Amino acid sequence: MDVSELAILIPVLPIVAMPLILLLGRLFNGNEKWKGLWKEGGTIAVAVLAIVFVLSMWLIVGHVAAFTEGSGDDFVSDVGDWVTYSLFTENGDMKVQDFGFGLQLDHISVMLLFVASFLCLLIGIFSLGYMNTDPVNENRNHRFYAEFILFCAGMFGMVLADSFLWLFIFWEIMGLCSYLLIGFYYERPSAAYAAKKAFLTTRVGDVFLFVGLLIMHAVFGSWDFAVVFDASNIGAADAGLIKAMLLLMFIGAVGKSAQFPLHVWLPDAMEGPTPVSALIHAATMVNAGLYLVARMYPFFSAPAVAGEFTDVALLIAMIGGITACMAAAIAFVQDDIKKVLAYSTMSQLAYIFTGLGAALWFVNKGYTELAAFAFGASLFHLFNHAMAKGMLFMASGSVIHEMHHAHHELAHHGDDHDDHDDHGEDHFDCQDMTNMGGLASKMPITAIAMAAGSASIIGIPLIGGFWSKEGIVGSTWKAVLQDGGGLFIIPALLVLITAGMTGFYMSRMWFMTFAGKPKTPVAAGVHEQTPFIPIPLVALTGMTLAAILFAGLGFAGWIGDNANHLSLGHLPSHLMHEIMHAFLAVGSDGHSDPYLFMITWITIGLSMLVGPFYAMALHGGSLAKGEKAHWSISWLVSLSGKIRRKYNFDNSAWSDSGISNALKRRLYFDEWYDNLMLKLVVPFALAAAWFDKRIIDGAIKGIESGSQEASKGIRQLTTGSARDYIMMAALGTLALFLLIWGLI
Amino acid sequence: MIDPSWVAGLAVILFCIGLWGAFTRKNAIIVLMCIEIILNAVNLNFVAGAAQHGDATGWIYVVFAVAIAAAEVAIGLAIFLAMYSQHETVSLDEVKLLKH
Repeated sequence: MDVSELAILIPVLPIVAMPLILLLGRLFNGNEKWKGLWKEGGTIAVAVLAIVFVLSMWLIVGHVAAFTEGSGDDFVSDVGDWVTYSLFTENGDMKVQDFGFGLQLDHISVMLLFVASFLCLLIGIFSLGYMNTDPVNENRNHRFYAEFILFCAGMFGMVLADSFLWLFIFWEIMGLCSYLLIGFYYERPSAAYAAKKAFLTTRVGDVFLFVGLLIMHAVFGSWDFAVVFDASNIGAADAGLIKAMLLLMFIGAVGKSAQFPLHVWLPDAMEGPTPVSALIHAATMVNAGLYLVARMYPFFSAPAVAGEFTDVALLIAMIGGITACMAAAIAFVQDDIKKVLAYSTMSQLAYIFTGLGAALWFVNKGYTELAAFAFGASLFHLFNHAMAKGMLFMASGSVIHEMHHAHHELAHHGDDHDDHDDHGEDHFDCQDMTNMGGLASKMPITAIAMAAGSASIIGIPLIGGFWSKEGIVGSTWKAVLQDGGGLFIIPALLVLITAGMTGFYMSRMWFMTFAGKPKTPVAAGVHEQTPFIPIPLVALTGMTLAAILFAGLGFAGWIGDNANHLSLGHLPSHLMHEIMHAFLAVGSDGHSDPYLFMITWITIGLSMLVGPFYAMALHGGSLAKGEKAHWSISWLVSLSGKIRRKYNFDNSAWSDSGISNALKRRLYFDEWYDNLMLKLVVPFALAAAWFDKRIIDGAIKGIESGSQEASKGIRQLTTGSARDYIMMAALGTLALFLLIWGLI
Repeated sequence: MIDPSWVAGLAVILFCIGLWGAFTRKNAIIVLMCIEIILNAVNLNFVAGAAQHGDATGWIYVVFAVAIAAAEVAIGLAIFLAMYSQHETVSLDEVKLLKH
C-alpha cells in the first residue's frame, strides 16, 4: 500500500478517537474496569497516538530516504475537494475554484510532524501517570483525553495541510482545545479566567491572521501553497498588499506563540493540567506561530520582491528580541516552577522569531547562503526547544505530582481513608519552588531530566539547544554587519544578553528545586513513585543529548537548504565541521571568522558561566547529610554548595527594589490591558449595548407593536354582521367600477 | 313602446332601493326581499338591453336569473328558518355568525 493513502489517517484517526472516548466515558463513567484497564480513555488515546507515530515515522523515513538518494520530491497528496464553486471572472468567463484538502510534506513539515507525533505520544504516556493517579481528576479524565486527542489532530492537520485555509482551520481547532484544556479545572475561578484570557488574547491575533488570509485570497485567488508560493505569482501581485498580508499574518503568529505584546495569556495558561502545559504551551501549539512565519519564507525569497519586505523581517526580529529579554527578566523573579518555564518558553520562542526574522531579512536582501543558515538554525532551535521544554514541563509535573503525594501523606497521617482532596484547606502551594529544595536525591530521574533540559535551554556546549542557539545569535550579529542591517543591533544585543539571563533563571529554577536542603517537611518526604512518568523523561533526555547527532547529520542545513540531504556516512566529518563551526566559527571556506568567534565565546561565557554562577551563589547548596544524588548531577549540587558558601551575597536590595516588584507583577501588562479595556473597550461596549437596545431592538419592537395596533384597527371591520359585509362588497364593486372607468 | 332608457332608469332606482334596504334593515327576510329587488333590477336592465339591441340573449338571461333567484330564495329562507330555530330571532343585529 502506498504511504500517501495512509497519510490522511494521521489527522483523521485522532479526530475519530475524540467522540469515541467521550461516548465511552459517558457510558462507563465510574466503572472500575474503565478506570483500571482503560485509564478512562487514556489507553485509547495513547494507542491512537502510537499508531499515528508509526505512520508518521513511515512517512518521515520515506521522505528523508528519498532525498538522501537524490530522488526526493516534496510529497503532495490531494485528498479531495471540500467545496467546489464557479464564479465569473472580470472578462465574463466562468472559472471553477475549489477548496480542496490535501497533504503536503516537505522538510519543514517533516520536522514538525516528528516533533508533534513524538511529543504527543510521550505526553500521552505521561498523562496516564499524571492524570489518572490524582483523585481530583477522577471520573472526568475522559474529557481530558478527548480534548487532548482532538488537539493532537489539530496539530497533525496543521503541519500536514497543503493550504493556508486548512492551516487556519486546524490552527483554530488547536486554539479551541487550548481553551478547553486550560479550563479543565473549570470549578477554579482562576482556571476559568485563564482559559478565557488565553482564548480572547489569541483571538485578537487570529482576527488579524484571518484578515491577512482574506487578503491572500484576494491577491492570489487561492490559499494553496502551490499557488501562493509560486515566484511568478508573487511577482505579478501588488507588493504593498503582500506586505500588509505578511504583517497581519505575523500578528496572528505573535498571538499564537505568545510574543510581546500578546504574550499575557501564556503564564496564566499554566492553570491547566501539567501535561497540557507540556504539550500545548511548550512543545507544539506555541510553535504554530513559528511554523506560520517559517512558511512565509517563499514570499521573501521571490526575486520580484527582493528588498521590499526587509522592514517586515526586521520587525519580526525586533519583536523576538524584545520578548526574549522581557520574558527572561520576568522569569528571574517567578517562584512558581511552571511560571518560570512558561516565561522561558516565551523567551526561547522569541529566539526563534529573531532567527527567522534574520533569515527572512537575509533572503529578502539576497544573501541566500546566510538566510539558509539562519533559517535552519531557527527551525533546529524549534526542534531542540520543543524536546527540551516538553521534557522540562513533564519533569516539573513530576515534581508537583510527588509534592502533592507527600503533602497528602503528611496531612493525613493515619486517617487516609477519606479520598477527598484537601487543596486549598491549608494553602500549601505544591508548585512554589520556595517550598522545595534537596529533591536531587529523592527524584533522580526527574532531576537528571531537568538538568539535561535546562542545559539544552541555556545552551551549555554540546547539549541540545546549544547547536541551534549559537546559529541564531551568530546570524543576528551577522545581519548587523550587512548593508542596511544596522538596526539589527537591537535584537542582536537583546538575544546576546538573554543568553546570559537564560543561564541564570534556568539554573536558579534547578538549584531552588533540587539543590540544598529541603525547605519544608513536605519536600523532605517526596519520592519518585508514580508509574509512566519516567518513560517520557528518559526518552526525551536521550533526545536532548542526541541533538549532537542531529547537528552532526547536518539537520540545520537540511532544513535551511531544501535540497540538502542527511547522510549517515559522513557523520564524523560533519560533526567535526559543526564543532569547528560552533566553537571556532570556521566557515565553509575553512577560515575562522574573528567577529563570529568573539560573539560565540561571549554567548558561551554569559550563558554557561555568568548566569549559572550567580544562580549558584544565590540558590545553590549541598544536600542534607546522608543524601546522595546520582553521579551525573551530584557534582553539580556540591559545586553549587561550594560556590554559595564562598560567594553568597545579599541581594535583598535588588529583590526589594522597584524593578524586581515590577517584574513580579509581570511589568504591569495585565493592569495596562485592564485599564485599556476599561478606557476603550468598555465605553465602546456600552455604546454598542445602547445602540443594540434602543435602535435595533427598538426598530424590531416598533414593528411588532405597530403591527399589533394595526391589526387591532383592522379587526374592528370584522363585525360578523352580514350587512357590513354586503356593504363592503358593494363598496368594493363600486371601487372596481370606478377603477375600470378610469375615475381613480 | 316605452323607450329602453326609461326601463334602465327604473332598474337603477330599484337597484338603489334594494341596496339601501339591504344595508339598513334589521330583519333578515326584508334584507332577502331587498336582494330580490336588486336581482330584479338587474333583470330589468337585461330586458332593457335586449329591447334596445333587438337581441334575445338578454331575455334568455332573465329567464335563467329568475329561476336561479327562486332557488336562492328557497335556500335563503331555509337558512333563516335554521337561524330562527337556533337563535329565536331573524334580526341581523343580534346574529353575527360570520365572525366565527
